Amino acid sequence: MAIKLSKKTLWKVFATWSNLAVSMQNMERMEAPAFCSAMCQAADELYPNDPEAKKEYALRHAQFYNSHVVTALLNVGLALGMEEEKANGADVPDDLISSTKSALMGPLAGIGDSLVTGTYIPILLSIALGICGTTGSIAGPIFYAATWLVTSFALGWWLFMKGYKSGIAGVTYMMKSGLTDLAVRAATVVGLFITGCITAQYVTADFIWSYTSGELTISLASKVNEILPGTCALMLTLFAYWLLDKKKVKMGMLFIIFVLLALVTTVLGILG
Amino acid sequence: MELWKALLIALLGWASSLYGMGLFGIFGGWQCVGKPLIAGTIIGFILGDVTTGILMGAAIQTLYIGLVTPGMSMPGDVNLAGWIGIPLAMTAGATSEYALALAVPLSFIGSSLTYLVASFNCVWVHKQERLLNQGKIKEAARIPIIGASTNFICRFVPIFLCCYFGSGVITWAVDNMPEWLGNTFILLGKMLPAIGFALLLSFMVRKKTDLLYFFVGFICLRIIGIGIVPCTVIALFLAYIDYMYNNKNVRPAFANAAIDDGEDE
Repeated sequence: MAIKLSKKTLWKVFATWSNLAVSMQNMERMEAPAFCSAMCQAADELYPNDPEAKKEYALRHAQFYNSHVVTALLNVGLALGMEEEKANGADVPDDLISSTKSALMGPLAGIGDSLVTGTYIPILLSIALGICGTTGSIAGPIFYAATWLVTSFALGWWLFMKGYKSGIAGVTYMMKSGLTDLAVRAATVVGLFITGCITAQYVTADFIWSYTSGELTISLASKVNEILPGTCALMLTLFAYWLLDKKKVKMGMLFIIFVLLALVTTVLGILG
Repeated sequence: MELWKALLIALLGWASSLYGMGLFGIFGGWQCVGKPLIAGTIIGFILGDVTTGILMGAAIQTLYIGLVTPGMSMPGDVNLAGWIGIPLAMTAGATSEYALALAVPLSFIGSSLTYLVASFNCVWVHKQERLLNQGKIKEAARIPIIGASTNFICRFVPIFLCCYFGSGVITWAVDNMPEWLGNTFILLGKMLPAIGFALLLSFMVRKKTDLLYFFVGFICLRIIGIGIVPCTVIALFLAYIDYMYNNKNVRPAFANAAIDDGEDE
């Protein structure tokens, strides 16, 4: 009799991974305990009367694993699909399951970090921050929370089922199709544009220095902003970008530089 | 701050930390309630001033908007920044600039806590492996839930203590701050978002010309004065053009190849 995982078990595996993926993050095996726990949810159904096989099955997934929580769901689904085939008697070597996992976790982490965490979330947050504006409108946080929750769950579940159903061949095809490159490019363009908008709105430091001689007062801000409004904000952002990107300055150092800059320019009355 | 408020803030702060649990992992936790913008809104609800909460959350959010935590590296932890920085600044009646100034040192403390938790958790890994070897699958599957206790101690306790006992200190500091230092904090609050956006740029810019999109976005909002939602529509339109352009640059090559093949036969 062929074993077919029930919808309920699939959901349990998905939920266990999603909920516990990093709850026990550790230096030794990273997210492995959570991967193992997720797979354990299906153990009873895959090997109902074979404690020894069940044990081996669980131990197979206790090895090092580290990836992006959302995109890794493709990998969780794939591993589950392969295990199901194996439990049904197909010739799936243990090595194949482990090596597919280690081969996929790197690229998936890369896609997840650059596309989901590095681009998609900042875009959503930027829009939300823009909606908040200076009045602190509650529509901003609601927009972010609702959009993120709906889309991330949909993406996660879709990836999980895709991995579970399409097997190694399908997943390899998907990873190589260039679809992600296109998505990255499109998201980057939107992301950069929105970053520009939000920089204009939130970096509000400006020149306050002015020259006074008798009746005549020349304010630096009004002169500079006549040419290009927001010059100060642009200069600060590009200065920080230059330090980060070209000078490879660490975040901690960058903060110290900015604190000193703020201190000096306040005391001298240049920026405010 | 009342005891129940401090307890509730500490509980939510723990659940929404990177290694937290109970809000459906990072989906509802770290990437949702854990974001300073959302955290600020919730803290605002708890402390009875939603608008201030949102403004403070938004200020801290700008600084950590491009926060990516690949592998184990943790450039700055927004958890303590949001869940200690916002409540303290709010109870002291300070402005969002102070919340931001508080957030920076707190985020560095948070980063070290992250490493501490991940190092200690190795103990639980071995516990799980022992259980698996004994064939106790059910018990082993529960280990990540029990293991979350390490993070609980490192998050719940400091957030609770700071929120419950710390507000007096901050109120005193704000009241007794010399003017030049206060002005520095205010300027810092207007400058620090630049770091957050620069971090985002360094992550997204692949070739120098990509910066053009950033400039046009800046000009659209600052000079032309278009709102953020219409700006998003423009951005999507530009992404479409960019896609069409790149696609066109690829297509003729394929088309020619097809024609060449035809002539050869």
